[in-house]
Amino acid sequence: MSSAYAHPHPRLVSSVASAASSPTASSSRFSLPSAATLVNASKSGAGHRPNIYDRNLNKTRVAEVSGSAFSFLFSEVVQYTQKRVSGINDLERRLNTLGYRVGIRVLELMIWRAESSSKMPKREIRLLPALMSIHTHVWRAVFGRPADALEKSVENADEYMIIDNDPLIERHISVPKDLSQLSCSSFTAGIVEAVLDGLGLPARVTAHSTPTAQFPSRTTILVKLEKSVLEREDLLK
Amino acid sequence: MSHHLFILSPSDTPIYSLTYSSTKPAGTISSPLSSNLPTWSTSAFAGTLTALSGASSQTQHTSGGGVRIGGGQDRHVIQMIANASLDAVEDVMRKENTMYLKSVDKFNEWTVSAFITPGNSKFILLHEGKNDEGIRGFFMEVWELYVKTMMNPFYSAQRTVRSNVFDGRVRAAAKKYL
Repeated sequence: MSSAYAHPHPRLVSSVASAASSPTASSSRFSLPSAATLVNASKSGAGHRPNIYDRNLNKTRVAEVSGSAFSFLFSEVVQYTQKRVSGINDLERRLNTLGYRVGIRVLELMIWRAESSSKMPKREIRLLPALMSIHTHVWRAVFGRPADALEKSVENADEYMIIDNDPLIERHISVPKDLSQLSCSSFTAGIVEAVLDGLGLPARVTAHSTPTAQFPSRTTILVKLEKSVLEREDLLK
Repeated sequence: MSHHLFILSPSDTPIYSLTYSSTKPAGTISSPLSSNLPTWSTSAFAGTLTALSGASSQTQHTSGGGVRIGGGQDRHVIQMIANASLDAVEDVMRKENTMYLKSVDKFNEWTVSAFITPGNSKFILLHEGKNDEGIRGFFMEVWELYVKTMMNPFYSAQRTVRSNVFDGRVRAAAKKYL
């Protein structure tokens, strides 16, 4: 690779220089570095690239992410997704899928941090402790505080609800009237779904806005468990 | 003695496998079946059949400790034993809440130990002889490496792990513990 850059073709050099000096390139919206600086950067950084296996997984355990940076990122996520969907259901489904990708990683990393130093690392196999751990530990790992309530549905035995009075990811989101059905917490629902799936408790998880006078952005994460999960719970009793 | 490690994704797709021969001597495990078995040497499946019945360990001992080829050490037989052990693993993992399941299954000279990650990935290790603490240490190290692999946004659950560094680290861990 490096030998290819050591003696670049003269035509390449001139075209790079002209591109960098042309007004269209310099006035680009995100002020990308010109090709020439990119080549230099890759040359000097060669061989120093950190390997993911050298990194300590506990390094960022107590690190916090800036709220505004996260809000900005999530706002871009929602905008990106919205451009590519045809309706609210589709949008929620896609946000759910994105959350799912986060959730599988959250689960594995969170448990690793908690259990890797123990002699007998344990998994959660029962339903209620698993839901409690989502309500407390997953929420704390992702949002920095436990969720506000965990409730069991009175009508359906297979439904549980995790309630967040002021979801972090919706703090800077105001859903327009024509999309009133939409809850951007579908992303959170995806995280919950991934965690439950990973623990061997498959469920369909959806998010619903359930505002109250006191908490206008109160959100309910509805967990509808698959039949097999309840059957197994009965056997384990 | 040799070890065989298989890492399976949550949907049981094999994503990594490793064969490791340690210098430590294998404990002799007698297989009662092997002594009274007829020799089907003309059959095309002779290797598999003898392996399944456990005759291999005896022929290997009489041949006098050379390189062990065929019989119970055949690649396809190893894979079959690992696959078959999944039933036992899935039975146990529903009831036991520990991640490390030692000696979940036995087949002739092979003992199968497993490790279930919280995200439902499985590490299956075929080994001869008993080495509970060593295997636990090995699994813990592989788990850490696996978590690091998973954190990579470009990694998706069904894909095989092809990183040379991962392979090297797992081998180093095997050398250390097995």
